[in-house]
Amino acid sequence: MKRRFPAGPDTNVDDLLAGLASEPEGGRLKVGDERIVDFLVSFARKLLAPATARRYPELASLGFFLRRGEIAKVLRAVETNPGVLRFPRGMVFHVPPANVDTIFVYSWALSALAGNRNVVRISPRSAGAAEAVVEALNAALADAHPAVAQTQVMVTYDRDDKITAALSAACDLRVIWGGDRAVTEVRKMPLAPHSRDVTFPDRASFAAISVAGWEAATPEQRRDVAVGFYNDSYWFDQAACASPRALFWVGDEKGAEAGREEFRRLLIDVVAQKELVVEPAMAVQKRVSAYGVAADGHATSIRFDGNAVATLELTSPGEVPREWLGVGTFPLATLPSLDALVSLVERKDQTLSVFGFSQQELEDLAHDLAGRGIDRIVPFGSALTFSERWDGYDLLAEFTRLVTVQA
Amino acid sequence: MSDSVFGRSQVERESALLTELTELTEHHRAHSVQYDRILASLGIEKGRRFDRLADLPWLPVRMFKTHDLKSIPDDEVFKVLTSSGTTGAGASRIYLDKEAAAVQPRMLGATLREVLGGKRLPMLMIDTISIIKNRRSFSARGAGVLGMANFGRAHVYALDENDQPDVEAVKGFLEKHGGEPFLIFGFTFMVWQYLYEVAKEHKLDLSNGILIHSGGWKKLIDIAVDNSEFRRRFAEDTGLTQIHNYYGMIEQIGTVFLEGPSGNSLYCPEFAEVIIRNPDTWEEQPVGEPGVIEVISTLPRSYPGHVLLTEDLGVVHGIDDGDWPGKRFSVLGRLPRAEARGCSDTFSGAVA
Repeated sequence: MKRRFPAGPDTNVDDLLAGLASEPEGGRLKVGDERIVDFLVSFARKLLAPATARRYPELASLGFFLRRGEIAKVLRAVETNPGVLRFPRGMVFHVPPANVDTIFVYSWALSALAGNRNVVRISPRSAGAAEAVVEALNAALADAHPAVAQTQVMVTYDRDDKITAALSAACDLRVIWGGDRAVTEVRKMPLAPHSRDVTFPDRASFAAISVAGWEAATPEQRRDVAVGFYNDSYWFDQAACASPRALFWVGDEKGAEAGREEFRRLLIDVVAQKELVVEPAMAVQKRVSAYGVAADGHATSIRFDGNAVATLELTSPGEVPREWLGVGTFPLATLPSLDALVSLVERKDQTLSVFGFSQQELEDLAHDLAGRGIDRIVPFGSALTFSERWDGYDLLAEFTRLVTVQA
Repeated sequence: MSDSVFGRSQVERESALLTELTELTEHHRAHSVQYDRILASLGIEKGRRFDRLADLPWLPVRMFKTHDLKSIPDDEVFKVLTSSGTTGAGASRIYLDKEAAAVQPRMLGATLREVLGGKRLPMLMIDTISIIKNRRSFSARGAGVLGMANFGRAHVYALDENDQPDVEAVKGFLEKHGGEPFLIFGFTFMVWQYLYEVAKEHKLDLSNGILIHSGGWKKLIDIAVDNSEFRRRFAEDTGLTQIHNYYGMIEQIGTVFLEGPSGNSLYCPEFAEVIIRNPDTWEEQPVGEPGVIEVISTLPRSYPGHVLLTEDLGVVHGIDDGDWPGKRFSVLGRLPRAEARGCSDTFSGAVA
């Protein structure tokens, strides 16, 4: 297998595991280890370098996430009471998705911050931003403590069950991204009895606008809502787990109708201004999906505003499609109140991006849902902002273990 | 020939087609609830008249991979055709009743008669006999070979059961039939690899042959052979000049767009038509402007495949100005595939 980080000659799984088992220079890593923090900060600086950030805006977000101040905040959040001590889990094996270039970096970085030894399998299909990440990591290694290179490894290998099995058997925690199929595949490889999985299966996300909130908003705010929705939807081709797959308007029917029409026009403006181009093949894909929703009886009307924006009127909110319909395809429905959302939410549902609701309304919704679905409610424009609390996990807690001491 | 399907001028065929296809659109609405829902969702009311063929609503051809679309009751399904196509994601399912299954070879025959004449000719298949023998691995290619076999007789296969060129078999065929008109059929890249190369090496005389071939140019473009080069080298090195490429798809089974005698243009039989669409506005492109190919045919009556947007790119070169009347066009290649980034490696139902 190819050694991507630290860059080096091809290796095999035995040598790799043997290398990780030896004690690093300066002793074992701790939670929030300075050697790792310094490395992450220097890596973040490389991501924020103008040339990189311009080319891959998603890497800039990653860079912000890994600034020293942000890291300190994450670490403070897992401080423990006296007599409770937090330690790394040990060796963590990460299996990230092929399609999102950067998500593996977040889970790896948090696991490294937790003081774990990490093996990350980077997909052979990865490209673009993932390559830039590997480059930045290797560049940051130049002035990093040697313990970093001794404890953190990223490799690429073609589908090879033997390697995946060996790494699974050796790890103390396995992190599987990439959806239902990836999770099911990788789960066929047994873990050691004490070890377990953190899984990120397929998720679906939605957006909701309060009709009353919309009516109270200024024209500038409304435009910002459209821009935020644009970013949430069109980055990652509306295919990220947190990208809204449908938009609900919550409130009275008449107000919703007016709001929807205005919002659609604003969105078309934003798309034009961003000079977004939807390729013909994608435009065809959107028609295949949208016609399919109609054919199945779940949409009563379909509207295409150029290739970039497609809107579907759902037959009923309960028939909201959760599958990906193509970049810029928005099923719409009006709900009388947030309560109406509760019955249609499923375990699979992850993010609800919102505009115009009060904190209280949203907390009431969360209480009504009672953890049965929707792990995060965020304002428009923040759907894709990664956080150490993701998919209902407190990741740093997942990546560590607690030891209690009482004299 | 009196019953030619390449007789009518563009104006004549368009008005006839418009009436038939409007009726066909209503027929499918009445018999496929899914098709009716799609048109209704697009705001097309029942009984709508259309002014031009280009105004007829089209379905993306990939819909037949994601949905079972048919305009016949289950108990009248006589045959289900499947093909994986080249996108590698799911297979199209095309439902035929008895009548549809009978119509499609008849109309294919009527189309090919234009270049083959009325008699069955001795036929050289540029494929392996095992493609039709081995039923277990029966493929779209096998179905194509089998379908075409009906139009010839005394079949000889140019490849042996191990996919190796069987030069002796070809030589034997030519000794017996090479002095009179004979039919050659195969997929374009195989014809090049297993007929052209072999004929050139062994100096075979194919001058009485009529070649019918299809299947795309991708593999040949890689070795810098396009349609013109293909024709030029066959003529120069083997004497073969009667070459007819064709364009067709399983979703409009029985309908083929056939290359005219002088080459480099495909023609529509009278029961079919092509429209090239601008990939941004989806309006019809003027002559000479490339775009996405829409294929129209009156044959699909058991499933709503009469107006289909393909994922191929093409261009109309001219109208009523070539070997045969009507539009003449070329296929330029495929639309690059739509792929999305996302947390998930697989999007259930999305890329089917």
